[in-house]
Amino acid sequence: MSAGENGDSDGRIKGIKSALRVVPNFPKPGIMFQDITTLLLDPKAFKDTIDLFVEHYKHENISVIAGIEARGFIFGPPIALAIGAKFVPLRKPKKLPGEVISEKYILEYGSDCLEMHVGAVKSGDRALVVDDLIATGGTICAAINLLERVEAEVVGCACVIEVPELKGRERLRSHGKELYVLVESQFEPTTQ
Amino acid sequence: MDSLKIFNSDVVIMKSHTFLYNGNFVNSLKLLAPSFPSTCTKKPPTSASTARGGTTGRHFQPSSHIDLKPSCSSHMAAPTSDGLIDDRIARITSAIRVIPDFPKPGILFQDITTLLLDPVAFKDTIDLFVERYKDKNISVVAGVEARGFIFGPPIALAIGAKFVPMRKPNKLPGAVISEEYSLEYGTDKIEMHVGAVQEGERALVIDDLIATGGTLCAAISLLERVGVKVVECACVIELPELKGRERLGGKPLYVLVS
Repeated sequence: MSAGENGDSDGRIKGIKSALRVVPNFPKPGIMFQDITTLLLDPKAFKDTIDLFVEHYKHENISVIAGIEARGFIFGPPIALAIGAKFVPLRKPKKLPGEVISEKYILEYGSDCLEMHVGAVKSGDRALVVDDLIATGGTICAAINLLERVEAEVVGCACVIEVPELKGRERLRSHGKELYVLVESQFEPTTQ
Repeated sequence: MDSLKIFNSDVVIMKSHTFLYNGNFVNSLKLLAPSFPSTCTKKPPTSASTARGGTTGRHFQPSSHIDLKPSCSSHMAAPTSDGLIDDRIARITSAIRVIPDFPKPGILFQDITTLLLDPVAFKDTIDLFVERYKDKNISVVAGVEARGFIFGPPIALAIGAKFVPMRKPNKLPGAVISEEYSLEYGTDKIEMHVGAVQEGERALVIDDLIATGGTLCAAISLLERVGVKVVECACVIELPELKGRERLGGKPLYVLVS
């Protein structure tokens, strides 16, 4: 479910959407990059973003917020602090010190890997995966796999932005996972 | 992140240190190494400098006794009550984990991820920074990638400031300004978006740890180049032996644990 899709004229969503920026041809030609850094420059919109996630999940007994490096580190911790959950960073290879478990996932060309600390998450923990944006869902699925491998229950995935054409939502649904997003990606470069 | 320096006394440290490891938490870390003369000079480094992507020189130079302890000098904020500050800092200190030989042999890595697994200690960390800065008219919190992204935004949200990410090259889309800084071998760069901050704004620079101060120094430079006043740098952890505090161009540094 997208926040605001049930006819809810939530002014906060409008403010969040207008605070986002689209940067064309980044990181390569043809890609319209959805930039959340301008949202972070708007304290009210940034606070509203966190509040909307917290409102959505605060009664779900979430014990773990798993944030995907690096922009998931911006949104995950404030949510974790607000609901009293642990924050667990999911990182690119070789960043986490000590013992880790790794999950490989496929990219358009080649593959990448996501890592989590051994012992950070326990069997029975109820987890929420957080990132700034979901595209194909490949990274988020790797995150879900990491958490499920240690027998956490993944309650859902939360992102600020969804790129619907890339069908990440469908991919999560096929794994039985709910996706909560605030806005859909925009096409027009914003003049900022 | 700060440059990696290999201090070639690792054999001595590893032979003589003991530490308590209690699950994910260390209660104290005591390194007992022979005392070195204060004029001891380092051997030239034998291996490559910082790997890209987040590894950092988080290591101790040998001293007769090294304790990871609460920071207790005059650069602490005026407490709401001394006891309350001390209790919170004690819990924060004990929640930090030390990982030996990461990213390389002889290095004792200060791992804040265990702090993030303790919601009370994590909240206390943020509260201590917020209490210090909330009445100082800070309009910008600049956080250094990637662990500065964990501590910076909650502070920014609590004090009503903007959060500005300082990133490795080619991560930020659109127009950026860059600042190069020295590593042990070679250089690295951090970037900030053009237009994120305005001349005259008052800023904090946040990272999880200060070692040599190279990265923080670069972050300060980026902000000052666009006319921002850097009020203070704030880190959870300081490695005082590496003298980063002296490298901040006169900017004050506030830390919780050193």
